[in-house]
Amino acid sequence: MAPRLPFDDVQEGDELAVRSLFLAKDQVRAYARASGQWSARFTDDDGARREGLPGMITPGNMSMGLLASFLEDWAGPGTLRRLGTTFRGLVLPDRTIRLCAAVTEKHDTTRSIELDVWLEGDEGERWVLGTATLALA
Amino acid sequence: MPLDLDPAIIGQEFDRTVEGPVTAEELVAFARALGESRPEYTEPGPGLVAHPTYCVRFRGGRFYPESLVKLIDVRRGFDAGKDIRLGEPIRPGDTIEVRSTLHEVYEKTGRTGSMYFVVIRFTLVNQRGDVVAVVDNRFMHR
Repeated sequence: MAPRLPFDDVQEGDELAVRSLFLAKDQVRAYARASGQWSARFTDDDGARREGLPGMITPGNMSMGLLASFLEDWAGPGTLRRLGTTFRGLVLPDRTIRLCAAVTEKHDTTRSIELDVWLEGDEGERWVLGTATLALA
Repeated sequence: MPLDLDPAIIGQEFDRTVEGPVTAEELVAFARALGESRPEYTEPGPGLVAHPTYCVRFRGGRFYPESLVKLIDVRRGFDAGKDIRLGEPIRPGDTIEVRSTLHEVYEKTGRTGSMYFVVIRFTLVNQRGDVVAVVDNRFMHR
């Protein structure tokens, strides 16, 4: 397993390098299939519109998954201990999203850190907000 | 108590369902759909474990307790967020017992009227008795 980020290398206030990625509809469909969430709202524009949505949307669970991967890319696999999110807006695919995080607190006794995390659009509108706990080396 | 619910219902287990066994193919497909390429999550073998958010796949046999289904239109709810606390990793071959409880119900009033938030807690336990995750699902209903 890849090494964990050393606790001493992190400071409160550190911001992770923002990750921008293009969220393709086919990737959202692949996630819907793999996660057992295959339904029109996540896979088909016309079907989603019939449910009153502007088009197919990204499952909130997928937004969480992308944030989790983003955090563990930085700190190492197996470091995520907790992730809490609020889904504030619809994440529509076929556009670029940005994954962001900042360290808010360090716990010396457990060698763990707290972070604010969020997923935002190109223009900075935050669609998913949350907090996370990571256990470091 | 919102919706005139009996407070005794809070914290009560209303479903217990065993799901699985988990397969390596399922774990790899899930991780790859998130763009993962790290071997811990994508290469079948003794080191393969589930992506940390794989636990949200498990929803048990009944999503809401019967007493709540009578009071709200569950089909018109929106996923408002989740809180995941992770325990032991999920591995291929694991069976997962999903223990469902009604954790919290609260009301908020906004510009468009009242909204009810229902928090369902899934405690996920593997065949060895280890907790693999506690997942709080927060749904909003009008």
